[in-house]
Amino acid sequence: MFELPPIPTWDGLHPLIVHFPIALLLVAPLFIVLALLVGRHSTLFMTSALVLMVLGTAASYVAVSTGEAAGKLADRTPEVNQVLQHHEQLAERTRLTFTVLTIVFAGLLAGPAVLKRPLARVPATVLTLLFLGVYGAGAIVLANTAHNGGRLVHELGVRSLMPPAPIPVASADLDD
Amino acid sequence: MTTPRFVRPAALALFVAVIAVAGFGLRSIEAAPATSTAKTLDNLNAAFNGESNAHARYLAFAAKAGEEGYGEVASLFRAAARAESIHAANHAAVIKKLGGVPKADIQVPDVKSTKENLEAAIKGESYERDTMYPEFLAQARKEGQRDAIQTFNFAKSVEAEHAKLYTAALDNLGALKGSQAKPFYVCTVCGNTTAQMNFEKCPVCFNSKDKYVQVS
Repeated sequence: MFELPPIPTWDGLHPLIVHFPIALLLVAPLFIVLALLVGRHSTLFMTSALVLMVLGTAASYVAVSTGEAAGKLADRTPEVNQVLQHHEQLAERTRLTFTVLTIVFAGLLAGPAVLKRPLARVPATVLTLLFLGVYGAGAIVLANTAHNGGRLVHELGVRSLMPPAPIPVASADLDD
Repeated sequence: MTTPRFVRPAALALFVAVIAVAGFGLRSIEAAPATSTAKTLDNLNAAFNGESNAHARYLAFAAKAGEEGYGEVASLFRAAARAESIHAANHAAVIKKLGGVPKADIQVPDVKSTKENLEAAIKGESYERDTMYPEFLAQARKEGQRDAIQTFNFAKSVEAEHAKLYTAALDNLGALKGSQAKPFYVCTVCGNTTAQMNFEKCPVCFNSKDKYVQVS
């Protein structure tokens, strides 16, 4: 019951890590929306969004690298090859998009403080809304990447190699 | 706002606990029972022998195609021969890693007309794509042999491409009579063979297209 699962290999890490960029990068804009709506603790919400973006983008780098390692071991058919290539291209685009978006957002947050020229409320809101629009486009790329990854696993049956672990004894056997 | 006193020791304790848990997990991997590699090692040797012979056979087929005036087909055979030598080298590296010695029994190639050579090549590639490598892959997966899975996977994907290229050449053989040598591109990592470099990364092994060499 308290046995630890084996630590996965680099390629086996892919199915675990892919959920991090999806969750973190899709939740981040909600904090920006909250900052716009609530207003009172906007800096706190904006900083939280930035932290989520940084973590999500960092996870996307790990996801792409582990994905390439997993792809080399994937059972290939012409269909799998097609979806895998598309998934790989989208993943790279996602990584690049969110790297740029995170840097831009960090600039939006830190820029006025660094330059000691705080933005007025209206231009700040317009810039944030513009950013959210571009972020939405990035989120679509991310969603498509995730969708193609899901197709590989759930439609085409591509699996990662997991490290060996003992098969658990059925609870009925334990009762005997 | 000041940080409460207990935060730093708690963070340190948490860090130590995470490291200890990770270390315990790694130890459990090391303690995992070793699986047998005998069958996969046999399969790797069979594949190494097959790829080495295919390399020799395709070079002989290329010479014959050149003699008969099929310059483009000769280039294709030379490119495929290069790919097969890459597969053989990949298989050999895994054999050595598993403690084996790669051995190949090179047969004198049975060279016929270019049409018959293309038919024989398609038959050979189709067998490797549909029967040999899928069986070897299934066994390697059962044994959890990652390096073997990767080298079999690369070879299987590339043999499928070779079968396509040979089939296209056979279908178009009449028009290829009197053709000149044509450049083909071969990935030096996985052996992928293509006539068009319309990608940034190799579609089989995901390495940069800089890894490709031209063969004509």
